[in-house]
Amino acid sequence: MFADELKTLRRLGFRHVLLQVLNFMSVLASGFMMWKGLGLLTNTESPIVVVLSGSMEPAFYRGDLLFLTNPASQRYKVGDITVYKIPGADIPIVHRVLETHDVVSNEKGLVAASPLAQRQLLLTKGDNNHIDDLELYQGLEWLERRHIVGKVRGFLPYVGYVTIAMNDFPQLKYALLGGLGLLALIQRE
Amino acid sequence: MKHACDDALKRFLSRPELFKQIYTHTDVRLALGWASVFVAGGTALYGYKVEFEKSKPVIWAGLILYILLTTIQTLYAFFVEGNVVFVGKRKTFDKRIVTERITITSTSKPSTPSSPPAYKLGLTCVRSTSGGKSLLGRGRALGERGFNTFFDSHGVMDQEGFEQWAGELVGRVMEGKGE
Repeated sequence: MFADELKTLRRLGFRHVLLQVLNFMSVLASGFMMWKGLGLLTNTESPIVVVLSGSMEPAFYRGDLLFLTNPASQRYKVGDITVYKIPGADIPIVHRVLETHDVVSNEKGLVAASPLAQRQLLLTKGDNNHIDDLELYQGLEWLERRHIVGKVRGFLPYVGYVTIAMNDFPQLKYALLGGLGLLALIQRE
Repeated sequence: MKHACDDALKRFLSRPELFKQIYTHTDVRLALGWASVFVAGGTALYGYKVEFEKSKPVIWAGLILYILLTTIQTLYAFFVEGNVVFVGKRKTFDKRIVTERITITSTSKPSTPSSPPAYKLGLTCVRSTSGGKSLLGRGRALGERGFNTFFDSHGVMDQEGFEQWAGELVGRVMEGKGE
């Protein structure tokens, strides 16, 4: 099936093979660096997430794509939709902020004139859930800022189903990667 | 089709009795490209191992390095390499050792209502001796042919016809028709 391509590759030599493999690797590398760059700019480790459950209906449905930012110096307000991760559980949860408080500190001396963003404690609840998220916090009473991945700024409906499909059917992921790799190796420029 | 012509040209000229290809442009591109891939890989590994907040300075460094390498690569390809497809060297003995260095650029011209798409070759040959210190002569040649003279309707390339045309151009430039 690939006899012609293999013949061409052998004729053109080792450098050529290196160049073709480089084509494929640099596509992956540039995609990855763009993701990381976006994460640094938005100050969050995962600037784009997929909604996995229906706990935020009718605002977000399963399969929606969410765009997040996490400005370090801004306080989260009641009503913001946040994505958070509890240490120990790997799945990000998308819920709305119900209450916010501040960490009480016993520092002597000055009192801060304006409440600091990093000292916030949060309680969340999904719009479509009856109770708040206390049971999801695995022992914690409040969410701290460091648990928050980001605040939802915008969304695209349905697009996230591609990611859900690739996670449920890993063969799809490998097939896609394999197809891309083949294309990059055979194509010129 | 341009790539097929370029490959045929490289194969033809790299024959032992003709030229030895100089791989500098290719090597620079390979070095820069693979360096940027490894920088990306290293950044990926670091980001995987270290949690987000602590990893930020290193990831910034990796990102900036990657952008730098990619920019240098693009600038090199655009300004230094340009349309060059082949650079070759040859040593002949003619009362003294003469080194000939040939540089070939190729572009493809899109089709116009009156002419089919064409393959344009530009050749430059520099002859020098005493290890490149004294210049003996310089020659330049240009040639252009429509792609339809080398490819038939099935896409099969007429190798001998192409090699003949290319060889004729190389001969002309080596005789030193200077400009």
